[in-house]
Amino acid sequence: MKKLLIAASLLALLASGAALAADDTAAGKCMTCHKEKSLGLYNQWYDSEHAKHNVTCIDCHAAAQGDADGFMHEGALIATLVTPYDCGKCHEKEAKEVGDSYHAHAGEILDSKDAYLAHAAGGAPVAIAGCESCHGGKMLIDPNSPNKLHRLSWPNSGIGRLNPDGSKGACTACHTRHAFSVKQARQPEACSKCHLGPDHPQKEVYEESKHGNAYYTNQEKMNLEAKRWIVGLDYFEAPTCATCHMSATSNQAVTHDVGMRISWTLRPPVSKTKDNWEAKRDNMKDVCTNCHGKTFVDGHYAQLDGLVHLYNEKFAKPGAALHKLAKEKKLGDGTANFSNKYEWIWWEIWHHEGRRARHGAAMMGPDYTWWHGIYEVAQHFYFKYIPELRKFHDPDVDKLIDEILADPMHVWMSQPTADIKADIKSGKLAAMFDGTYQVNIK
Amino acid sequence: MKRFQLFIRGISTNWTGTLGVTFVTSAFLLFVGFELLRIAGILTNSYVGLISYMALPALFLLGLILIPIGWWKFRQATGRTTEELLSQRFPDDMTKAKRLGSSLVGMIALLTVMNLMFIGLGGARVLHFMDGPEFCGTACHPVMEPEWTAYQNSPHAHVKCVECHVGEGAGALIDAKLNGLWQVISATFDLYERPIPTPVRQLRPARETCEKCHWPDKFYGTRIKSFDSFAPDRTSTPRHTTLALKVGSGTGEDRGTIHWHIAGSNEVRYEAADPGRTKMTWVEVKRGDKFHRYTNRNVQPTGSDEHPAEVRSMDCVDCHNRATHVYQDPEGAVDAALSADRIDRHLPFAKRVALDALLGNWRDKDAALSGIDNEIRGFYRRGEHRATGLGLEIDTMVKEVQAIYARNIFPAMNVTWNTYPSHLGHRGESGCFRCHNPDMVDEQGVAVPYDCTLCHSLLAQGSDQPFQFLLPLEHGDPDLMLHKFHRDEFLGTDTPLPQPVEEETPATDS
Repeated sequence: MKKLLIAASLLALLASGAALAADDTAAGKCMTCHKEKSLGLYNQWYDSEHAKHNVTCIDCHAAAQGDADGFMHEGALIATLVTPYDCGKCHEKEAKEVGDSYHAHAGEILDSKDAYLAHAAGGAPVAIAGCESCHGGKMLIDPNSPNKLHRLSWPNSGIGRLNPDGSKGACTACHTRHAFSVKQARQPEACSKCHLGPDHPQKEVYEESKHGNAYYTNQEKMNLEAKRWIVGLDYFEAPTCATCHMSATSNQAVTHDVGMRISWTLRPPVSKTKDNWEAKRDNMKDVCTNCHGKTFVDGHYAQLDGLVHLYNEKFAKPGAALHKLAKEKKLGDGTANFSNKYEWIWWEIWHHEGRRARHGAAMMGPDYTWWHGIYEVAQHFYFKYIPELRKFHDPDVDKLIDEILADPMHVWMSQPTADIKADIKSGKLAAMFDGTYQVNIK
Repeated sequence: MKRFQLFIRGISTNWTGTLGVTFVTSAFLLFVGFELLRIAGILTNSYVGLISYMALPALFLLGLILIPIGWWKFRQATGRTTEELLSQRFPDDMTKAKRLGSSLVGMIALLTVMNLMFIGLGGARVLHFMDGPEFCGTACHPVMEPEWTAYQNSPHAHVKCVECHVGEGAGALIDAKLNGLWQVISATFDLYERPIPTPVRQLRPARETCEKCHWPDKFYGTRIKSFDSFAPDRTSTPRHTTLALKVGSGTGEDRGTIHWHIAGSNEVRYEAADPGRTKMTWVEVKRGDKFHRYTNRNVQPTGSDEHPAEVRSMDCVDCHNRATHVYQDPEGAVDAALSADRIDRHLPFAKRVALDALLGNWRDKDAALSGIDNEIRGFYRRGEHRATGLGLEIDTMVKEVQAIYARNIFPAMNVTWNTYPSHLGHRGESGCFRCHNPDMVDEQGVAVPYDCTLCHSLLAQGSDQPFQFLLPLEHGDPDLMLHKFHRDEFLGTDTPLPQPVEEETPATDS
C-alpha cells in the first residue's frame, strides 16, 4: 500500500512537472503569435503589472476540461472569457469582495423595470448594446463560433456579467484589458462609462463639485500609479470616485465592495436607509475626515438627509401613492405597464429627476440638486403628473390629489404670494423642515 | 576619291536621291564616329546607344531605300532609257565597259559590299544593344521608368533583363520579339495599363532562368536575418527582430525547410482566386503519386468548368516575386536608412518625420521632392523641435528621404507605396500566410502547418538587442516566457527560469 502511494505521488509529481513544461512552451507560443498579430494588445499587457510578474496569456486564459466556453486553440485549451473566478486564483480577497457587492448583481436586470422598458418600448438590440454593455448580461455560448463566444456577447465588459462558470461580474469593467491599470481604475473616467446621463449623473455631479474641480487641477500629482494609495498619506489633492467608495484610508483597507460606505439608497422611487447604515456612514465619514473637520462632515450629512426627506415626503411618497392607485384602478387606455402617459411622467420624476436631486446633494453638486433635480421634480409633479391624472376624473384619485395638495408643504399654491414671501423672510416656511436634517424623522 | 565624288554627284539625281545620299553618308559617318569614340572610352553614356544602334541604322537603311527610289523617279520624269541616263549622269570613262565591267559597276559593287558589311556589323551591334538592359529600360522611358529604377537598385542589377525575360534559344528570341512588337504598338498608341500589372505571365519559367545561378540543390542551411525597426518616438528607439530562417535546400530530403517547396522531387501547386496571386483557393502537395489538397475556407473559387482557373506549380517567383524589381515599403525604407545612419537618430522624431514626409500625397515627382524638403525643414524649424547644430544632418536626411521617394514612387505610372507587394515573409495575410494559415485545411480539417517556428527560429522579436533571446533569462522581464521559448527552441535546451534576486516588498494597496 505504501509503495503504491509513493508510486502514485511520484507519478503525480511527474505529471505536474510535465504540465509545467508544457505550459512554459505554451506561454511562449501564445506570446510569439500575439506579439505579431495583436501587437497593441500585447503592448498594453507588456506595460502592465501582470507582465512584470510573469503573468502571461495562458495564466489567465487557460480553461479546464469541460468548461462550457473552453476551446482548443493552437494546441492549448483556453477560454476567451476571464472571470472573477479566474482572477480570484491570485486576487482572492478582491474577487470575494466583488462577489459580495451590488456591482456583481448588476447583470440580474431582466426582472427590472429598466429591462422591461428597454425590451418593450425599445427592443433586443438596444437592450444588448445599451443596458448589457454596462450591466453585463448572460454570456452566450455558440458552439459554431471559433472561440465559443456568441457574437451578441461582446464586449462582455458589463460589470455584472453572468459567466458560464457561474461566477458573476467582470473585473475588466473597471480594470480595462489588457493593461489592467490601477491608475485607470482610480480615475473618475473608469466609473463614468456607466455612471452618467439623465438617470444617474454621478460623473456630471462630480465634475460640478469642488472635488472634481480639484481633481482635474491636480490629477498628475496624485500618485495614481502608486501601489499604496492611502488618502492623506499618498495623495491629498482631491478625492476620486474610488477614494470615497473603495480606496484605503489610514483606518480602512481598500474594498471592492462598493456599497460599504453608502448609507442611503438613492436609486429607488423612495429612498431608504441601507442595512447596517450607521457603520457604512461611519466608513464614509472616515474618508471625509482626512480632509474635512468633523462638523463639516456632519453638516454635509445633515443637508443630505434633509434633501432626501424633502424628496421622499413632498414628492416621492405622494407620487408613488398616486401611481399605485391609478394602476389599481386600471386608469388609462393602455393595459400594460408604461402604456399610459402618466406612468412615463412618474417614471421620469423618480428615475431621472429625483435621482439627480439626491445624487446632487450626496456629492455636493448644487446645480444637479436644484435645477436638474428638485426643480424638475416639482414642475413635472405639479404641471404634468397631477394634470394628467386629473384627466381621468376618477373620484378616488381626485380625492387623493386634494389630500396631497392640502399638505402644509403643498398649500402654498393656493395662498397669496405676499404671504409666502413673508413666510420665507420670517423663516416660517423653512422651519417646516427643522426636524428633517437627520436620518430618522417622525 | 574623285571617282567617289563623281559617283555621289551622279546618283544625287533629284531631292529624293540627294536626301538618300545624305542620310546614308551622314548615318555612316556618325556611326563610325560614335563607335570610335565609344571604343576610345570617350563616350560612356549608355543612352548614346539609342542613337547609334537604333536611330543611325534606321537612317542608313532609309537612305539606301531612297536612292533607288530617286533614280526611278528621275527616269520616269525624263522618260529616257537607263543607258542614256547613265551616260548623262556619269563621265564616259566610268560607264565604259572594261574586262571586269565598267568602273561604275565596280563602284556600286564595292559600295554594296561595304553596305552589307556595315548592315551586318551594325545589325549585330543592334541586336546586342537590344539585349542590353539600357535598351529595355530606356527605349520606352516613361513606361519602364519604375522597373528600370527598381532594377538598378536591386541585387540583380548586373544581370541583363533578357536573361530572365527572354531566356535562351531561337524560340525564346522570336517569342520575345513578337511580344516586343505588341509593346511597341501599345507604347506608341498609349494602350498600356498604369501601373503595369504583375505578375508578368510570359516570364520564362524559373527553372530555366533563376536556376542557372541558384540551383535548388544548393544547401543554404539556416540564414540569420536581422531587421531593425525604429519607434515613432523622440529618439526613434531601435527595436530588433532577428530570424534564423530555415532555408535548407531543395533536395527534397529536408522536409519542413523553406526551399523544400521547390525541390525537384516535390511538387506544390495551387489555384489563385486573383490575378495577383494573393488569395489562394487551394494548394496541393505531392505525396507519392497523389496530390494532397488543402482548401481555403474563406476563398471562393473563381474558375468554372468552361473556364477553369489557372493552376500553377510553385517555383522561385511565387515567393521571390520581387527578386529584382524591389520596391520598398515606406516604413521599411526609413528603418533601413536609420539603421545605416543615412538618417541621423539625433534628430528628434526622425522616424516619424521621415515617414510623414514620404507619405505625403504629392501630385508629381517635382512636387514630392520639394514637398519633402519643405516638410522636413519646416518641422525642425519649429521651436520645440529646433535641431540646433544639426544642419548637415537635416540636409542628409532630406536627400535620403527624397532618394527613397525617387526610387519607389512613380506618379506618372501610378506606382505608389505597395503597388507591387512582395510575397516574401508575411505581413498580415500576405506571403507565406497565403497558404500557411488556419483556414487552409484538408478534408480532415487539418490545416497547412503555420507554427511561428516552422520556417524560422526567433532570436529577437521587437527586442532591445539583435540577439536578445540568446542572452540569459532575466527575472522581471515581461518577455521572460517568450525569451525562454525561443531560446530553448533554437538551442534545443530547457533553460531554468531565473529566481528573483531578492524578495520584493509585498504589494499593498491597503
